[in-house]
Amino acid sequence: MYFALTDEQRALQATVREFLADRFPLSAVRALYDDEDGDGDPAELWKAIGAQGWLAVLVPEEHDGLGLGLLDAAVLARCWGEGVVPGPFLPTLVAAEAIRLGGTPEQKAEWLPKVAGGEVKLTLATEVRRASRTSFDDGKLTGTIQHVEYAHVADRLVVAADGGRLFLVDPKGPGVTVTPTETLDRTTRLCDVQLASAPGEPLADPALPEVLDRAAVLYANDLAGVARAAVNRTVDYDKTREQFGKPVGTFQVIKHTLADLHVATTMAEHAGWYAAHALDAGLPDARLAVSVAKSKASDVAREATAAMIQFHGGIGYTWEHDAHLFFKRAKREEYQYGDAATHRERIARLVVDGD
Amino acid sequence: MDLSFNEADEQFRAEFREWLAANLPMEWRERGFWRRQGEAGFEMRRQWEADKAKAGFAGIQWPKEYGGRGGTPAQRAIYDEEMVRHRAPLTVNSLGLTFLAPTVMVIGTDEQKRDIIKPLLHNEVIWCQGFSEPNAGSDLASLQCRAELDGDEYVINGQKIWTSNAMHASKMFGLFRTSTEDKKHRGITMLLVDLRNPDGSFAPGVDIRPLKQMSGASDFGEVFFTDVRVPRSNIIGKEGGGWDVAMLLLSFERGASALPQYAAFRREVDDIVELAKTVGRDSDALLRQKIASSVVELECLRYHSLSVLTQVEQGKELGASSSMTKLQWSETHQDIGELFTDVAGLAHQVSGDGLDVTDLQQSFLWSRSETIWGGSSQIQRNIVSELVLGLPR
Ligand SMILES: Cc1cc2nc3c(=O)[nH]c(=O)nc-3n(C[C@H](O)[C@H](O)[C@H](O)COP(=O)(O)OP(=O)(O)OC[C@H]3O[C@@H](n4cnc5c(N)ncnc54)[C@H](O)[C@@H]3O)c2cc1C
Repeated sequence: MYFALTDEQRALQATVREFLADRFPLSAVRALYDDEDGDGDPAELWKAIGAQGWLAVLVPEEHDGLGLGLLDAAVLARCWGEGVVPGPFLPTLVAAEAIRLGGTPEQKAEWLPKVAGGEVKLTLATEVRRASRTSFDDGKLTGTIQHVEYAHVADRLVVAADGGRLFLVDPKGPGVTVTPTETLDRTTRLCDVQLASAPGEPLADPALPEVLDRAAVLYANDLAGVARAAVNRTVDYDKTREQFGKPVGTFQVIKHTLADLHVATTMAEHAGWYAAHALDAGLPDARLAVSVAKSKASDVAREATAAMIQFHGGIGYTWEHDAHLFFKRAKREEYQYGDAATHRERIARLVVDGD
Repeated sequence: MDLSFNEADEQFRAEFREWLAANLPMEWRERGFWRRQGEAGFEMRRQWEADKAKAGFAGIQWPKEYGGRGGTPAQRAIYDEEMVRHRAPLTVNSLGLTFLAPTVMVIGTDEQKRDIIKPLLHNEVIWCQGFSEPNAGSDLASLQCRAELDGDEYVINGQKIWTSNAMHASKMFGLFRTSTEDKKHRGITMLLVDLRNPDGSFAPGVDIRPLKQMSGASDFGEVFFTDVRVPRSNIIGKEGGGWDVAMLLLSFERGASALPQYAAFRREVDDIVELAKTVGRDSDALLRQKIASSVVELECLRYHSLSVLTQVEQGKELGASSSMTKLQWSETHQDIGELFTDVAGLAHQVSGDGLDVTDLQQSFLWSRSETIWGGSSQIQRNIVSELVLGLPR
């Protein structure tokens, strides 16, 4: 019985935290918020994480990767959330998982080594615009997909169409129009992707459900990191901010709310690790664990980041303060790969309907 | 991560299951069985538990020489889990098992270990805990029940209240004020007090009165002392050191893994799901969300317990962070109580009527006490915010 990170995983966590604090601190994130013309994808950062080998975490050794598990990737995602780190890191990991799980041997050999080496950016496109569909006909894809993270800088899109089949699409190829949007959370960019008879290269296997589960776990861990940072930063501020002649952190309403948030965040952290391990180890309750992790983390991150604004008072509502960086990321990720209610309904299907 | 138990631990599980299969009658496991036994059930449980202890399935983590099994923390967790899974009867000596025995194992003299642990495991002595008083609850250190030294004996005068199991207990471990000169935390001593004579009548100067709870049961009571004499050797820890002993003692409750609560509450949720199907409300979208919310919190409790268990196995100090365990299970259990009433609707008021919900009703009511005893939720939040998060007082 050992429910904890291994020494290696803890060492990785410490290295990543230190690296991010040094190379991409919150001041850099704020600069990104202020850069109105930027693409939201700091080139230096991308190069550096590629050089660290962190994009190789889930790539099998035979494709020049590290061949580690989802739990190791979750350690990285957690650090990304703590630092509200921008860039197509998680999108690339998720889309690469689609290729790893569903690709032909040739597709894997072509793309996975490049992912591991930090040479390509990928993203997964699943969210079809309401009342339309993405169809595949004679090697060509047609349809409109919304909210595709970082499609404007990606080398390949992995597009879900026709009831969950997956296709590789070159976003710079014929018939593809990618339009980045003004995204509230500027640590990402959500794009509209229009496909008009765009060439699509099918993956071999229908890996989508598994990919979505793994994505949910990675985003849940990012959210747990966001929540933890929000709680810690609020505690630190309320220890020193004085009103009525004493630190506001002495007021019991604030203390008890933060205590509850600390408990809830700790639970989300456990759930994030557990779900990643459950998928790695093929535990029988893996699907339940995924939905527990994503719903818990979505709720906690929303509450913790809202409390962060509230318990900073006026300064917490300013553009200059960090609170909104956490708040907006929590909000965005809350809806990615299933919001809390969607995952709870899935839990109900498992527990009530016995699906 | 490795969530499997090792071979020795699984071997233990197999042995215990075998014993339960042979010694736990099937009808005892049925819903409502113990309710129907009423007061007679106590004696049945007391005897069964004693037999279990004699077969080596008690005091799992404690040394054999004191009547324990000499097992591991993991085996203790397995034991708890199997007890719940098999719907084995609840212990009749929970305060002794949860609080007194582990405390004695840590700070008791060899003589105390010998005298206390085995008779406790064999249910020859049933213990109650005398901490709370009418004017000392959350602020336990303001307790006033006096114990004055007279030669080699203490003479106790005063009152305890909310004393669980007082109607069955033969002895009490209690906190008493042995000095009014010291600061309020310092003048307290933990003493072991005989409440009853061997024939079951009250010991001289002792009076015990039941208090009826909102559930209708009388599981707790008031204990009055008038010139009750206790030998000076009945001290646990040091004279005047009762506060530290109490803090150590309470840490055992909080530090325990909550896997038994998980197993019991998860079964309750299953019962509520059954109920939802029976009353045709299992496709109600809002109820499904609520059911799932409870499952989320319970699964988190399980993961948390696995993490606590790992820390215990590695010999780590849990410290104040274990207040989180209490908050998570007690608050979640209250939500499950509300889930039950939401699913049943008005029928939660009425048991019978073709729908036997008495167990869920009882559990629903009991859950209201769980955020009060053992340190209320407010006190736990004070602990978490001050000792874990470091917020100022
Ligand atoms: C079913 C049951 C069994 C029990 N069994 C035992 C037993 O066997 N032995 C024993 O000794 N005791 C027992 N108790 C007593 C229990 O420990 C006390 O009830 C508990 O400590 C609370 O004390 P109180 O009842 O005096 O409430 P109070 O302390 O008066 O609390 C009243 C309210 O004020 C809140 N409050 C108090 N202080 C603070 C603070 N600093 N900040 C914020 N809020 C605060 C409390 O949370 C509560 O909501 C039992 C109680 C119950 C309900």
